[in-house]
Amino acid sequence: MALLLRTVARQGLCLSRSQFGVLYRHAVPMGTTAKEEMNKFWAKNTQLNRPVSPHVSIYKWSIPMMMSISHRGTGVALSSGISAFALAALVLPESYPYYLDLIHSMTFGPQFLAFSKFALAFPVAYHTFNGIRHLAWDLGKGFKIPEVYRSGYIVIALTVLTSIGLAAM
Amino acid sequence: MAALVRLSSVCHRGVSPLLFRSSSLIRPLAVQKKDRDCPYLITAKIHATPSNYAGSGSKAASLHWTGERILSVVLLGLAPVAYYYPVPAVDYTLAAALTLHGHWGLGQVLTDYVHGDFKIKMANAGLFLLSTVTFAGLCYFNYHDVGICKAVALLWSK
Repeated sequence: MALLLRTVARQGLCLSRSQFGVLYRHAVPMGTTAKEEMNKFWAKNTQLNRPVSPHVSIYKWSIPMMMSISHRGTGVALSSGISAFALAALVLPESYPYYLDLIHSMTFGPQFLAFSKFALAFPVAYHTFNGIRHLAWDLGKGFKIPEVYRSGYIVIALTVLTSIGLAAM
Repeated sequence: MAALVRLSSVCHRGVSPLLFRSSSLIRPLAVQKKDRDCPYLITAKIHATPSNYAGSGSKAASLHWTGERILSVVLLGLAPVAYYYPVPAVDYTLAAALTLHGHWGLGQVLTDYVHGDFKIKMANAGLFLLSTVTFAGLCYFNYHDVGICKAVALLWSK
């Protein structure tokens, strides 16, 4: 098959040898957008009931991969938390200080409070620092693999330190 | 959008040249005698915007992207402001910025994982509802209760 192609192409090359340059005239423009193409692709897959090749279940996890999904995970979690808080504000009859005192009367000691603060601060800190890392990427900086890992480790370190610091406050 | 694929860029060099190819729509395929590793060329359909399409393209997606980044920077800057100036203006700004940032963020998650015209529409409608209720709740909290900045301060005081 390759041999056939090679033979045919070589003949074609010989013919166009004088035309050293651009082969634009062989290009056929298409009128669909990327979005339309994507939708067609997904519709065809669903319709044909195509199985999906294993990907996350077999590919070796790397730090950048884990940090990326964690950024999404913390984002979704924080957003859900804010929405839950807003919903509670609309639904619950009493005021915020009332419920805060209620929670404090139920706490199991200072360690619990410190841990809760850490648990709240951690996703905020992580999402914030990794967010800055994302903004750097949006500016085109830091795409080399060693840089990706280095910035990743810095984000993790800053997150842990900030969370501990905030929990201690 | 596919670019013209030069087969030699695929042969014998692995995948990385493909990944680092520039995304120009049309790549000139210069035929060179010394290109021995893949002597045949192949042309592919390209996606070029025909002249009658010119001007009808929308910049909406691009502007949305930029808006997302600007909002992220604004939110970043709001954090220290909220700490040092816990006033109602900051409370409401924070409510708006947080809700919008979350709305756009969750929107991207839906775009990634939800497929099919109807499902996408339903998911986005649900998200819109959630974000509206979230903003309403936060504003209610700011007006009738202690406000976001004070709430965080109280939470941390114990």
